[in-house]
Amino acid sequence: MIPALINKRDNFEVIRDEIAAILVLESANQQELAAADPSKDSNDWKLRVFTERSNPWEQFLNKQDDKSPLVNVWYDNSNFDPTASNAVERQKSETVFNIDCYGYGVSSDVPAGGHKAGDQEAALTVQRAVKLVRNILMAGEYTYLGLRGTVWSRWPQSITVFQPEIEGRQIQQVVGARLALRVEFNEFSPQVQAVELELVSVDVKRAEDGEIVAEADYEYPL
Amino acid sequence: MSLRVEAEADLAFILEDEVYGFGYSITVTDPDGSVGDLTGFSNDISQVIDPDTGQAVSGRLASAALRISSLTAAGLALPVGIADTTGKPWLIQFDDINGNPFTFKVSQSNPDRALGVVICLLELYVP
Repeated sequence: MIPALINKRDNFEVIRDEIAAILVLESANQQELAAADPSKDSNDWKLRVFTERSNPWEQFLNKQDDKSPLVNVWYDNSNFDPTASNAVERQKSETVFNIDCYGYGVSSDVPAGGHKAGDQEAALTVQRAVKLVRNILMAGEYTYLGLRGTVWSRWPQSITVFQPEIEGRQIQQVVGARLALRVEFNEFSPQVQAVELELVSVDVKRAEDGEIVAEADYEYPL
Repeated sequence: MSLRVEAEADLAFILEDEVYGFGYSITVTDPDGSVGDLTGFSNDISQVIDPDTGQAVSGRLASAALRISSLTAAGLALPVGIADTTGKPWLIQFDDINGNPFTFKVSQSNPDRALGVVICLLELYVP
């Protein structure tokens, strides 16, 4: 039996939350940097970040006050590499975190002539969001995602863009993009607590024929 | 009278009856700015859509059904989706049942020329 309560956060949970925290922090930082330049709209650098949400873009449904893109960080899968692990306590994990970005666009009138197409706006918005996410997470400052000693490496495995089913023809134009980020790190498992030996004594003797003889006495609880 | 012609005439009761039917006021604006006040069916409902990310999410679907002969009588052509962003789109405006106004752009039109009805699939639009 494992004598202690397993009451810890695994590293995949820590890393998932760290990815979200980095995105929130850097999005705010980028907005601040953009605000210093009057030719830039700092809202273009705004991301609304969630973790493990299944329907964050519910916000696009009826209230369209904030049209900035949504980002949802969620844990997808882990593969464990036995050749880089040990059977006792440490498992090297290659884990994929999906970072889903949703861009919203709405068609609008251009007073000078023509109109803006909502589908194009949504596509450009989500591309801007996923570009920002990849640049932040692959920046030199985050080589180890701020968890040096835990994270071995991170790599953007793929970026895939999704469009809602065309049959739906929903009135909002929403386009999704998924950045699959592979992170390598160690997971640890509960261990047997070592028991201290109370006494260890060794007598080393040389026999008459020259053979070395060692005699050890020690006590341990049974 | 042909049954088809009779069916088209019946649209006046089926589509355009605001007193005893489901007819509802709909304003149609063509790309040149010509406006027609018509009566037809309008829909604005929520439904679940699949963005293909493995998570079904809520979406919103709006459409309007109009009698083609009424459009013609109002001096309008058949509404179509306008992909060219240098031009103005066809616009459709109607209130929800509580009187809140909404403006939509026609993103796709599906005319039934046999019966004389056009169904317009709509997209939110900021005029």
